[in-house]
Amino acid sequence: MKEISELNLPEDLRYTKDHEWAKVTGDTVKIGISDYAQDQLGDIVFVELPAVGDNFDQGGEFGTLESVKAVSELYCPMDGEVVAVNEALEDSPELLNEDPYGGWIAELKPADSSQLEQLLDRDAYLELLKGE
Amino acid sequence: MSTEIKNTLLHDWHLKNGANMAAFGEYDMPLWYPLGVKGEHLAVIRSAGLFDTSHMAAMTVQGAEARNLLQHCFSKDLERCLGLKKTPLVEGRSVYGLFLNQQSHVLDDSIVSQVSDSLYLVVVNAGMGTMLTEHLGRHDEGMQVEITDLTDRLGKIDIQGPNSAKILKKLIRDPKGVFEDFPYFSFKGWFEDGAGVAETVTLNDSTPVLLSRTGYTGEFGFEIFVRPEKLVTLWQELLVAGEEYSLEPCGLAARDSLRAGAVLPLSHQDIGDWPFSETPWPFALAEKAESGGFTKQFLGADALLSSETKEYTLPFAGYDPRKMPVSKSSFVMDEAGRRIGIILTCATDMAIDRVKENIVSIATPVTAGRPEGFAAKGLSCGFIKVDRKLTTGDVVLLTDGKRKIKVEIRQDIRPDRTARRAMREML
Repeated sequence: MKEISELNLPEDLRYTKDHEWAKVTGDTVKIGISDYAQDQLGDIVFVELPAVGDNFDQGGEFGTLESVKAVSELYCPMDGEVVAVNEALEDSPELLNEDPYGGWIAELKPADSSQLEQLLDRDAYLELLKGE
Repeated sequence: MSTEIKNTLLHDWHLKNGANMAAFGEYDMPLWYPLGVKGEHLAVIRSAGLFDTSHMAAMTVQGAEARNLLQHCFSKDLERCLGLKKTPLVEGRSVYGLFLNQQSHVLDDSIVSQVSDSLYLVVVNAGMGTMLTEHLGRHDEGMQVEITDLTDRLGKIDIQGPNSAKILKKLIRDPKGVFEDFPYFSFKGWFEDGAGVAETVTLNDSTPVLLSRTGYTGEFGFEIFVRPEKLVTLWQELLVAGEEYSLEPCGLAARDSLRAGAVLPLSHQDIGDWPFSETPWPFALAEKAESGGFTKQFLGADALLSSETKEYTLPFAGYDPRKMPVSKSSFVMDEAGRRIGIILTCATDMAIDRVKENIVSIATPVTAGRPEGFAAKGLSCGFIKVDRKLTTGDVVLLTDGKRKIKVEIRQDIRPDRTARRAMREML
């Protein structure tokens, strides 16, 4: 298991208490899981993706990740509509372990961009991890 | 029972080598190492894996009436248990069975090994040594027998996978002699000097070991019992000896997925404090006599014979790697949506996949149906306990009320396992 100091936590992302990340790219927001999440889960063997066009509220379940250890729900970090999903994960779920930031899960068109500000920045997320 | 979390002697090694740890049976144990459980699972199927199993407990049952006590308390008939002809257990051979209570509930499962006429090694699960020592002690009245709990007094490492013997032979003296005449469920040597064992096995540095052709992965391999002070050195020596075979240290998660695919029960999860009735493991009991009863009387036998079966434990395999976690909210439904039972184990065997109607393993020979370029995505598998008899091929759903996973009742899960392969093919 990685020590907190060994975790890769990019500065330019926002994080959630559920160990997901969100990254703004123009009008849309890409969502994935953090290095901490993939390290804790172990090998991810299956990703259940949402459908393009689905709408979710902040905190709503938008998919599941299956690792050898557990089945974990993915929670939508903000209100919005799914405009794209990373279909590569269907055949290669291990991409989330290999590169959790390259391996995004879904792309959202946010209904309210200000919700992004409610998410944690790197320092706040690090503090959260130290308390886990 | 103490709730204090204990460590095996390899605990520091596990931490230094990046293991993801969790509590299991009173011990803080590695779930997986940095390679990850999939890589570890596949390593055991393709080559070999190393497991720290020192958390498991063991007892010796010793004395003129040791066999009588085991005949009374253990579910296998030691006079009729070996091979197709069901011959008596003899020195150097081991047998798998159960310790039941009067109600036929499972106290624990165990491998009993006959060291000599008056000495048996009884290997049980983590944390069970004290309970079973006391249990046997309650039934030995008037018998000439001494029961010794070896909990934390014995080091144990399992090496599992088709290259296990090739790795092990570098570390033991006279490997040719040791590996000769060494069938599945037999053992040689003892972990201390003496003990009146006919055949000794020693490491190159003269350390005595007990080498047993058993394990809990369904694959070819050995359990190695050694004095605790030699455990860490032996572990490291095995890893060095195994480098050329890509031997991997493996955690409990790979052990769980390997044993589930091999249709082996986990005690206190698949068998436990409920009647042992209709299960995929009738071989854990004494043979049935022509009269309809068992070939011997033992604790729990009457309850087994008189109870009406209301629950059926069955193996299953899914159609993809998706699992349904075992929890209070998850259950088994028939195709009409009726609740029919509970999930006992649900794991993913990452070495297998479906090819048309069949399950194929990465170890399946091409001539036996493995397509060229076959890459297994893995299949969920495990055991359910339901209120009706189902037959092989029946389909049920595992659900937590939200997600549903379709699975098929199976007789067997991972094909082409190597556990029973002849030793000469493995050297």
